[in-house]
Amino acid sequence: MTAAQWGGASAVFLASAVEWVEAFTIVLAVALTIGWRRAMGAAMAGLGVVAALVAVTGAGLEAAQADIAWIRAGIGIFLLLFGLRWYVKAIRRYSGRTALHDEAREFAETREQLERAEGRAAWVVAFKGVLLEGLEVWLLVVALGHTLSYVTAAASAAASLAVVIAAGLALRAPLTRVPENTLKYLVACAILSFGSFWSIGGLAGEQAVWPLGDVSLLLLFAAYAVAGRVIAWRSRAPAAADAGARA
Amino acid sequence: MRKLLQLVFGDLRNVASVAVALLLALSVSRLAPAAAGAALVLLLIAAAAAQAL
Repeated sequence: MTAAQWGGASAVFLASAVEWVEAFTIVLAVALTIGWRRAMGAAMAGLGVVAALVAVTGAGLEAAQADIAWIRAGIGIFLLLFGLRWYVKAIRRYSGRTALHDEAREFAETREQLERAEGRAAWVVAFKGVLLEGLEVWLLVVALGHTLSYVTAAASAAASLAVVIAAGLALRAPLTRVPENTLKYLVACAILSFGSFWSIGGLAGEQAVWPLGDVSLLLLFAAYAVAGRVIAWRSRAPAAADAGARA
Repeated sequence: MRKLLQLVFGDLRNVASVAVALLLALSVSRLAPAAAGAALVLLLIAAAAAQAL
């Protein structure tokens, strides 16, 4: 595998891990209410739908065999749309303009919600949670799968799921200690880097736009990572700035 | 369906930011191709700064 392929596989792995952590938190809350057996059944049903989508989409992409430059441009644009959204969210959280995503609060809110619901509704909560988070993973696998190797992208997503489940079961507690915003921020930088590289490279010619080749990806990542932290620092909300001044 | 579309495209401001940045970077690529990538990155960072505020 080349450096770019390793980078792509790592991006899929980390981005998938973020989604799986969120899904696992919901399943955990449901499991404590309706039991592990039913909660895992709902989770497996959600994963089954996502796996079917991955299989069908993979076959579709293989059959298309369209011009690689246009495919890269399309994938790059999608990654820019996806990555910019995450990038802005993470910056706003760093700057104090949006509350940090709190897994403990999500866990408590989910349980409170479930206590008033029937067992069937709880099953749907777990199914929907896994399905929605899995859909985000599916979009990433589709986006990076063709250029990276569809099997590698899907395997990276599956590996991250196995790691999150293993880590979650080992901790046997809500995954509140995972620094989610940091992970999301770094993933957003990686996605934006690949999106920038492939979108304008596919539209205007990769060799002409990126004379340094794959090395450009590292420079892009560094540029987005530094710029985002500077933006977050410059746009700190008054309360966050005061807290920083007192600290 | 709405949730899925939001997952893929984000809101209108997000789509507009990416579209404008790409169009301007494409314009730059006709004059100086090697500067198009840097132009895209700078435009996206500016868009992120505008959205974050």
